[in-house]
Amino acid sequence: MPQYGSVFKDETKLDITYIPNRLPHRDSELRLLTEFFSFILQFPTKMAQRVIITGDVGTGKTVLSQRFGADITHEANKLRINLRYVHVNCREYRGSLFLILHHVVSVFHPTFPKRGYSAEELLRILLQILDEENAYVILALDEFESLVEREGSEAVYKLTRLQEIRSNKPQRLSLICILRNLKVVEQLDASTRSTLQSNIISLEKYSKHHLIDILNDRITLAFKPLAVPDDTISLIAELAFSEGGNARFGIELIWRAGKYADAENLDAVTPECVRKAVSSIIPTMRKSDLASLSFHEKLFLLGIARLFKESQKAYISLAEAEQAYAVVCEEFGAQPHSHTQLWKYLQTLSAVGIVEKEVSSAGSTGRSTLIYLTRIPIRELEKELSALLEKGEV
Amino acid sequence: MPFWKREKCDNIMDVEDVFSSRLRIKILKILVQVGELNVSEIARRLGVNYNTTKEHLKVLEDEGLLQHKVFGRIRLYRLNEHSPKTNAIRNLIEIWEQNP
Repeated sequence: MPQYGSVFKDETKLDITYIPNRLPHRDSELRLLTEFFSFILQFPTKMAQRVIITGDVGTGKTVLSQRFGADITHEANKLRINLRYVHVNCREYRGSLFLILHHVVSVFHPTFPKRGYSAEELLRILLQILDEENAYVILALDEFESLVEREGSEAVYKLTRLQEIRSNKPQRLSLICILRNLKVVEQLDASTRSTLQSNIISLEKYSKHHLIDILNDRITLAFKPLAVPDDTISLIAELAFSEGGNARFGIELIWRAGKYADAENLDAVTPECVRKAVSSIIPTMRKSDLASLSFHEKLFLLGIARLFKESQKAYISLAEAEQAYAVVCEEFGAQPHSHTQLWKYLQTLSAVGIVEKEVSSAGSTGRSTLIYLTRIPIRELEKELSALLEKGEV
Repeated sequence: MPFWKREKCDNIMDVEDVFSSRLRIKILKILVQVGELNVSEIARRLGVNYNTTKEHLKVLEDEGLLQHKVFGRIRLYRLNEHSPKTNAIRNLIEIWEQNP
């Protein structure tokens, strides 16, 4: 909505949920994805497809899948094929196959009960619904890592194989698995892996030139004419490029910079607005993610951040993190929680995407959990956590 | 919709008998509002037990006002869209709710 004195024309076009009509520099990937699913428009009953979309943060995985989903659903509807594209962020459903399937069922029956049956029964129910309504679903499993981490091979096996063993019934459920790193797929068992790995679309990082094109597209939609000078766009593209070619970061940055321009009653978004906006963002992680952590999760994460800062190591062990956490607890006058509890906190931090973890079995003394902090600047993280803890936002 | 079933019954009840129960009216009201629900959830919203709810659902289904669909162990009920009586009830409840 246009506002008096605002640089924005329509800031919703910068929202993470907005799906643009055009995806600059992702034309060939969109064509390939459409090609993988072209059978649906001709012989929908004959097969189900599985595609993996992989790429780093901000390379356009989600928007590519969503644009494709909107386009193919539109085409299918024109041909009177009852096709639904359902996009699920697995992390939002805590990686639970049951909750994910319940979401899909609720597309058809919004008040479907949440209790009283297993994930496998729910999958059968979903196939029953699809048979009865002669419908087809392309299920996009965004942040697929979360599902594999929680449910392992079993869940993916069920999703891919259950409908295949139904005799003489049409194939109804296709999958798009969206993930950052293909290493996750290696954790699956061989047969599940083989059903998934045939179609992989890898998204390369955007170059600065690509990012400028993307930003220009969005700015035209979201800002008033001439509200964002070329200098500002170039600066944002540079920053987004240094963040690993992260277009999402760039789009969030231009939105924030626009807010700073509005707050100062400026006619245009200046590079100075961008600098102010940068200092308010922790790259790839929203402050709300940190604020939503529990008191002890924050203490645990602060311990981890300090340990990384002091040790300059690439990774630390859970045992080391526990010791650092104990020190932080002492500082904040809190009773430390048990090892089991900390392990659960680590699962949460990993699921939220703040840390990454890996179980190492290389040593002679058994398995140990290793913690990585790859994408977040440690100083920023420590500063933000300390501020939250001191403010008592627990 | 061929997959929604309705129990058949030969004894047609009088309108005053169907509407003599506060719970039956409440079931109809809930289903007008939310579309479809399973038995346990209807019971929870009514604040009565499962068996009582099932009995009232059976009465309404026998009268052709409701239909159900079975998904494994789940039984979803909704208003019978093909019944003129149901349309009349839906109108009554909606007008009632919109004009307090």
